[in-house]
Amino acid sequence: MHGVGKTYPGDVVAVRDVDLELRAGEIVAICGENGAGKTTLATMAARILTPTTGTIEGTTRVGFVHQHFELIDRMRVWENVALGNEPRRGLRLDRAAARERVRALGNANGMDVDPDAVVETLPVGIAQRVEILRELAREPEVLLLDEPTAVLAPSEIDALFATLRALAARGIAIAIVTHKLQEVIAHAHRAVVMRAGAIVAHFDDVATTSAQEIARAMVGGEIPALAAHAPTALVPRLIVRDLCAGDDASGLRSATFAVRAGEIVGFAGVEGNGQTALADALGGVIPHRGTIELDGAELGGGPRARIAAGVRTIAQDRRREALVLPWSIVDNAVLGDERGPVFARSARRARAKEIVERFDVRTKSLDTAVDALSGGNQQKVVVGRTLANDPKVVIAYQPTRGIDVGAAALVASRLIEARNGGVAVLLVSFELDELFALSDRILVLFRGEIVGEFARDAFDRARIGALMAGAA
Amino acid sequence: MKGAAIAFAALVAIAAGAMALAGANPIDGFAALFRGGFGEPHVPYDDHRIAETLVQTTALLFPALAVAFAFRAGLFNIGAEGQLIVGGLAAGIVGARLAAPGFVIILATLAVGALGGGAWAAIAGVLRARFGGNEVIATLMLNIIAGLLANYLIVGPLHSPGVEGAETAVLPADAWLPTLLPGTRLTIALPIALALAVAMRWFFARSVLGYELRAAGDAPEAARRAGIDLGRVALVAMTVSGAIAGIGGATIVDGVLHRFNVALSPGYGFIAIAVALVGRLDPLRIVVAAFVFGILQSGSLTMEAAANVPKDVVTLVEGLAILALAAQQYVARRGAAAA
Repeated sequence: MHGVGKTYPGDVVAVRDVDLELRAGEIVAICGENGAGKTTLATMAARILTPTTGTIEGTTRVGFVHQHFELIDRMRVWENVALGNEPRRGLRLDRAAARERVRALGNANGMDVDPDAVVETLPVGIAQRVEILRELAREPEVLLLDEPTAVLAPSEIDALFATLRALAARGIAIAIVTHKLQEVIAHAHRAVVMRAGAIVAHFDDVATTSAQEIARAMVGGEIPALAAHAPTALVPRLIVRDLCAGDDASGLRSATFAVRAGEIVGFAGVEGNGQTALADALGGVIPHRGTIELDGAELGGGPRARIAAGVRTIAQDRRREALVLPWSIVDNAVLGDERGPVFARSARRARAKEIVERFDVRTKSLDTAVDALSGGNQQKVVVGRTLANDPKVVIAYQPTRGIDVGAAALVASRLIEARNGGVAVLLVSFELDELFALSDRILVLFRGEIVGEFARDAFDRARIGALMAGAA
Repeated sequence: MKGAAIAFAALVAIAAGAMALAGANPIDGFAALFRGGFGEPHVPYDDHRIAETLVQTTALLFPALAVAFAFRAGLFNIGAEGQLIVGGLAAGIVGARLAAPGFVIILATLAVGALGGGAWAAIAGVLRARFGGNEVIATLMLNIIAGLLANYLIVGPLHSPGVEGAETAVLPADAWLPTLLPGTRLTIALPIALALAVAMRWFFARSVLGYELRAAGDAPEAARRAGIDLGRVALVAMTVSGAIAGIGGATIVDGVLHRFNVALSPGYGFIAIAVALVGRLDPLRIVVAAFVFGILQSGSLTMEAAANVPKDVVTLVEGLAILALAAQQYVARRGAAAA
């Protein structure tokens, strides 16, 4: 790949000016934080996406294993593997040959799978084997895997890498997209690190590299200063003990922590390590075990009780979980407060006007449907509503995800204002830069447990990065 | 607007083609349909025709508002037919047995009509709220049960002595709904339905509960996270929806048939789904849509008799109207997505 770049409409640069070479027999790790452009790069290498700039040379026989498998759940394994590449006998599908192909490929690569199993009945690790087998059936020279270990259990991860090493030994060039440093160190021959769409570091011999070095390259420069840091009375406001919620794979196992009034506590961690369960349990959206105490009183009940107590959430999926898209800004401005005095028409309008002004929401009118607003302006409405009713605790889940820099800065500074006003803010983010910029304290989540705590004057990128990746 | 005109022209053309296929002259057919719907000027007593159209409008308006009420909350109540029957059944049983002044009987029958229809729909509401049961299937099945239940009760345990066939005894004449136009079947059921439409519009536009119901319908996950209990919404919306349909059934008993008959509805509850959708779930537009469908309902009989065109042509037109509407909304959505 030479000078490859990809720009999306609206001048969003996903990948810029990347030079990368994949060689036969080698496992290359493409590392970087969420949104660094890794997946976009891999998708272009697989010829699925056309680059805006630059050229890609070499073989077109590229297999791609998606992070979210692209299998047909209701079909059998052999049907999935054969799809688009069916062995025929005359006009008919040669089922026997298709089954045999699955068996032969499985044997040759140490990935035995029952060809007649229906995909939806398989555990996720086996389903991934099916996805890999499907790609191998097309005899690729290059195999790309996007976050292949995100959903796997440790034993499954070991099995996967054993397979990948065997494939590499047979002369296939392999690239894995990942942000788990452990795996990179343990299994890759070579690593490149991406940040903001560009490759910022090459590690040609991973064996002589430490996880800290790669982590530093991933997160970049120095810790930015916390804007407008004001001293506040640090009274404990939210006390969480042994909180346990969600499923085994991505739930919260046992979390104990406290958040003080006037403090932003950042939750660092790779996506899927309990963040969603944490936010949903605090918001009363899912059941949980353990206790949550707010200003000395135990917090229980569903979302309505939590909102009444002053706990507000900036939901991670604003379009589905926070907004009623066909409704106007005015009507959206009071969702969750509709039983209060602000429901009255004039008060509702006044609230909407206040949000639009304070958050610089770019809209033609207050009666515009929020669906017609850009993502950043939708997020401003959500954050504005969350902060409008004097909350005591705000859970901000990826509050600046997918919005432009200006909107992100505005949202960030309003969160800091809220914190300065005495709100206890829980900030969940997958971007260390954001956590470093906003947090007074950082807790690290790994597999549903809090594995590290850092005060602001002791933020350590490499250490946090290593803990996020599961290093003890 | 241009699209609507094209759709209307296409509809008329297809209906004309169907009439021609049925061996009738389309012009005669349309003339008869129109005459049947509105009556002929300067013909004595022909104002009965427009009255009959309004009777049909009323009969469609109650279940259409019922359907719209549930739809707004995101619930596909396709059981208005069954709720209408159960409401009518309750009204017929009480009305034929209650010894009281006429206006008391009227109020009592309307009340038990609402209760009956509401309770019938609440079954689907509870199934949805408690067990996540699909309300489409539940209400559809309850339609069938409603008809059979009514038949069983009327012919069996609650049979009125001296009455033949599957109906109750006739209600006392002072318990009949007052007519608006002497000599017709047009009663105060029409203004009641219109008042209900206005009330429903206010409810969704202004009230807290209406706001919460709409939120649950338009964005269930956001509503849930904002503290709105989706199970409760399902129960409330289904029950109120059924109650509206039930009142409709009671007005047919009180005002049109003056008794309950198991055949009291020629499928009003089903046509009502089309009326609600054509009216885009907005109560005032639904009034207009119910009038248009009322013309078709009452005109189709004249059309069959006078122009020898099968009534089914009207059913065909109704079906096509829904199809055109669905297509238009689909195109509009795609247009919005592309923008």
